[in-house]
Amino acid sequence: MELQLESKREGNELTIKLNGEINTGTAPQLKELLETELTDAEVLTLDFENCDFVSSAGLRILLATYKTLKARKAQMKLINIGPNFSEVLNITGLDAVFGIKVNHK
Amino acid sequence: MKTIHVDSTTDNLSSVMGFINSELDELGCPERIRAQIKLAIDELFANICYYAYDSAPGPVTIAFESEPNPPAVIISLIDKGKPYNPLEADEPDVELSGEDRPIGGLGIFLVQNTMDDLNYEYKENQNVLTLKKYLLE
Repeated sequence: MELQLESKREGNELTIKLNGEINTGTAPQLKELLETELTDAEVLTLDFENCDFVSSAGLRILLATYKTLKARKAQMKLINIGPNFSEVLNITGLDAVFGIKVNHK
Repeated sequence: MKTIHVDSTTDNLSSVMGFINSELDELGCPERIRAQIKLAIDELFANICYYAYDSAPGPVTIAFESEPNPPAVIISLIDKGKPYNPLEADEPDVELSGEDRPIGGLGIFLVQNTMDDLNYEYKENQNVLTLKKYLLE
């Protein structure tokens, strides 16, 4: 499955809605979008309502982005996380890093 | 046993996933388990694409088998690249804070934590990594 990204900038906030899957093939699209659009945003919101598959290629980008933002005291929010992505975050301990409460069975 | 043969480039991931998905469809695989299997294939195939062959892409075979009772799938990824056992990679420290986290090393860890059995062999000049996953929730 492919990935489609919709980004919206409002003031210092950048919101990206992900539609599809972040896998080894599609992860570079997210990386490129963040490289061009993140610029000086103070809040980045990633909306996973239509994306419940994230492989480690995606996790790497999320972690790198988190570190970039944290270093300049900006914030990264992940919203509407589905059960499969939440399991991946839980196993890797990234739920705690990103400050997400995951109810994982 | 059914097989697909592709070159080790990430462009071929979608063909590999198409193959795996159609086999899982036939078996009526539950969605959560399908997501775990797809994740494992993504991670293991990507590893082969990035590390198995030094210069040009090389051949990869993916072999799919199923067992009826209890229902399970057995999938092997086979390459002729340099000998490498991904199961011997160092485990990441998942307790580290964000600042201290190295970026990477999570793929194999995810596979190890979601599959029921993993086995690596180097035989006849081939890396053979086999996973087993029960299709029961």
